[in-house]
Amino acid sequence: MRSWILATILRREFAETIRNRLLMSTILIPPMILTIAPLALAGAVGERALPAQLAISVLAQRPEWGGFSSSELAGAFAVQQFLVFFLLMPAYIPLSIATFSIIGEKQARTLEPVLATPIRTVELLTGKAIAALVPGVLAGWVTYVVFVALASVVYGPHLFGVVSDASWLVGVFVLGPAVGLSSVVAGVIVSSRVNDPRVAQQIGGIVIVPIIAVTLLQATGTVLVGAVGFLVFAGVVLAVSLVGLRIGVALFDREAILTRWR
Amino acid sequence: MTATTDPVMLRATGLGRRFGTLWAIRGMDLEVLRGEVLGLLGPNGAGKTTTVRVLTALIAPSEGRATVDGLDVTEHPEEVRARVGLLTETPGLYDKLSATANLEFFGRLYGLDSETRATRIERYLRLFSLWERRDDVAGNFSKGMKQKLAIARALLHEPAVVFLDEPTAALDLEAAYIVREAIEAMRRSGRTIILATHNLDEADRLCDRVAFVRGGLLRIDSPRGLRESLGGHRVEVTLTTPPSEALVGVARSVSGVLTVENADRRLLVGAARPSEITPALVRALVAAGAEIVEVRERVRTLEQVYFEVMGVKPDRDEGA
Repeated sequence: MRSWILATILRREFAETIRNRLLMSTILIPPMILTIAPLALAGAVGERALPAQLAISVLAQRPEWGGFSSSELAGAFAVQQFLVFFLLMPAYIPLSIATFSIIGEKQARTLEPVLATPIRTVELLTGKAIAALVPGVLAGWVTYVVFVALASVVYGPHLFGVVSDASWLVGVFVLGPAVGLSSVVAGVIVSSRVNDPRVAQQIGGIVIVPIIAVTLLQATGTVLVGAVGFLVFAGVVLAVSLVGLRIGVALFDREAILTRWR
Repeated sequence: MTATTDPVMLRATGLGRRFGTLWAIRGMDLEVLRGEVLGLLGPNGAGKTTTVRVLTALIAPSEGRATVDGLDVTEHPEEVRARVGLLTETPGLYDKLSATANLEFFGRLYGLDSETRATRIERYLRLFSLWERRDDVAGNFSKGMKQKLAIARALLHEPAVVFLDEPTAALDLEAAYIVREAIEAMRRSGRTIILATHNLDEADRLCDRVAFVRGGLLRIDSPRGLRESLGGHRVEVTLTTPPSEALVGVARSVSGVLTVENADRRLLVGAARPSEITPALVRALVAAGAEIVEVRERVRTLEQVYFEVMGVKPDRDEGA
């Protein structure tokens, strides 16, 4: 793997991404919403309290919230729902970039001249994967840091403690990149068979299903996933991604691209 | 890996490529000399693009072997790709990037340092009259300009051999003229060029040799050699009435006549040197009672040769 080739691919991928308004809007707008929405929701909950049965269930899973007032407990529970939304950024942004990038090249027929250079396909694939993965993961991390800073200023130490505990840190900094990788892999696999980025995103969007499932479980108070849970989740996602990556590498073969991709 | 001093730039021996059970090309033996311009002619699906892809180490051969500048395409694909320039069937430019940015990207992929990149980008953009538009995005270029930019991209690393796949296909007359001028310039600079085309006139004008391809190599020679090998020139004699079989026989009996065809009110008489047989032919026909309206020498076109080699019956008026 030659670093200057990777740097060349990355430079061009970023240059094209920046010039793609639709793609840039999908990268920039949702993080802004996700920064503000949880805090606004926590504020909207205000002095309300959780139903007694739900409060008991929540405290059973999060005993460290035992010192919270009933309104703080309601706010913490509401904000906790948003952790999974921070996983959506590394899920959908890499998927969007990867599908636009690969299908865009298929449609414009730009891959053959690139493959006619001394580049290795693994360098091209790695460059594209990094170019797709980095913005999504960074968007998740930057949004989270801004979100935590705002939470500490607006809602004080209790809510700050909730959004910066181990479950959030593992979720954002470990599970997030793993989800991002799975998203890139899905993007590569689907893009090799589909010629419309929107269709590819809809099919590739299957990677979001497990995240939605966790959201529903948390929202009903059935399970409040903690740091260990997110670590296990990250391990499973990573294992599945690595299997998918082998398929993606096989599909992203020079001959396959030139003779079978349509 | 260093290049050889072998006068043969490109050599294929028993080259074949199969897709599933279907052979796109098979048993291809070919040698192209340094500085030679070779045309690859054949119908759609004949294997021209497959041949180009195998010879540029984009896809591997299923059988046989090929070398470019002494390097085996299977054993040293990266080195081969570093030595060849390829103009693909479609320009394949990054439409959102400027002309300069497109060339910068490929210059980097070929490992050119920044000074060399800058020098060559300016040289080729000026050569193809694109320098004034260097900062415009390629998506705003006309088809001809895109094709010129794609040719500049193929030349940027100064390859030993350039493959041009249908360089003027889908271009209007003016754009095609500009691209042909660019190919002429490359030819004058002594570069080895492989030109895959449907355009027989283009091949006739630009190529030192022409290879007819359909699932393999059918025939290869200079355009003149191809014409002469299939009857070369002919004399067309137009009569007031359709010629009788007796008149055809009289024409056949003239010394130096190779073939005679009866075409409506015309006799198409093939000969190696038409000017030498024409007086005797005319005398013999007049003596046999023919009333001659016109006598013209016809040169067989590459198109007619193509149809004959491909086994397609050309229209009698082709090339008239």
